[in-house]
Amino acid sequence: MDLTKQIIRYVVIMVLQVLLVDQLQLLGVCHPFIYVMCLLLMPITSHRNTEMVIGALAGLVMDVFSNSLGVHIGACIFVMFLRPYVLGMLVTDIDRLNEQVSLRSLGAGALIKYTVILVLIHHLAVFMLAAWSWSHFGYVLLETIVSGLLTILFVIGYNLLINR
Amino acid sequence: MQNLWKILLRYSNFLVFILLEVAAFLLLFYNQAYPRSSVLSTANEVIAWQYEQEEVIRDYFRLKRINSQLAEENAMLRNQLALLQGDSAISYHSVRVVQLTTDRLHNYLTIDRGENDGIRRGQGVRNQDGVVGIVRTVGLNYSVVLPIINMQTNLSCRFKKNDFVGFLQWDGSDIRYAQLADIPSHLVVNIGDTIVTSGLSPVFPEGLPVGVVESRVLHEGDSYYTIRVRLQANFKRLKYVEVIKNANQDELEELEETEYGLD
Repeated sequence: MDLTKQIIRYVVIMVLQVLLVDQLQLLGVCHPFIYVMCLLLMPITSHRNTEMVIGALAGLVMDVFSNSLGVHIGACIFVMFLRPYVLGMLVTDIDRLNEQVSLRSLGAGALIKYTVILVLIHHLAVFMLAAWSWSHFGYVLLETIVSGLLTILFVIGYNLLINR
Repeated sequence: MQNLWKILLRYSNFLVFILLEVAAFLLLFYNQAYPRSSVLSTANEVIAWQYEQEEVIRDYFRLKRINSQLAEENAMLRNQLALLQGDSAISYHSVRVVQLTTDRLHNYLTIDRGENDGIRRGQGVRNQDGVVGIVRTVGLNYSVVLPIINMQTNLSCRFKKNDFVGFLQWDGSDIRYAQLADIPSHLVVNIGDTIVTSGLSPVFPEGLPVGVVESRVLHEGDSYYTIRVRLQANFKRLKYVEVIKNANQDELEELEETEYGLD
């Protein structure tokens, strides 16, 4: 998947995120961040520092839309840092992911594990940084599980239907 | 030296990671303490404009309710006019809410007026029912308001009946209620008592309605009440709000700064 396609995908997903997903108001705990999918599906390169900077930029854009400067940036950098290690645990030869991270290149089991681990880490980081206290930990945990689950379903659905 | 270089190179990913995270945390702290950058918020021209267009489309489907709200507001404004002829330092400016969140721990609303219209950081915001919040970040044509239903907000309030001052905060759970702290247990607090702004800061004039006491708890051994206040403003249906401009605000704040050396 070339760069232009990735950028187009990012823009489309961000529009969906801001216009649709951010407007959802279900039970006060449902704030999925589907934009993180674009980071998860980026091809694996040897330029890990660049990948982290890209993560920071994606986080910055999301932060501007939610008045939370720093929160998404921190979470996205963390995800981009962990990504190669998580993939390294799940597949033997990480080098074949330099074309794309998808259902075909990873296989269903690894893709699901990879998505679940990183989406939950990302959402937990975002909600913890936003709450910035332990007194709401129960709420943060519930928020992470509900929102994370929806994001995970979205990522898996996208991979099954579009990114085959 | 060469070895050091090798080690740095070997762990460059980790070092860059730490550096980037430190930058993110600095941004997080700095922005919470002094939110000066309006470009990196929903007061940003492009982003606020986009939310405004979304509102325009949505408005079409709620014209009826908006009409009745405007009628109410007209009545309220006429009342205010009568009252205001006494106090010329304070003026109200009706603004539109273009974006609003109500289901987070840190909620914000964006209004369609900014620096060009005389909006300044720290001005009070109300609607026809009562206090809404305080202006936090000001862009050229849009501003972000910190409402009562944001955990950072701390509002100085008093009882209407006996002038006792406490601080109103929101605990992040229910947008209909906030908590009043610092009320000592020897005071008689009744359910239904009205809470109004204290007038101790130039942000709000004295006596603006904030809420009514919904319930109060006094734990054994505690010398302070835990008071739950039902807020007057309905944050779910915020459409038009008013920014309160106090002509003396700059002067008052300058005085305080020179007096106490506060930032």
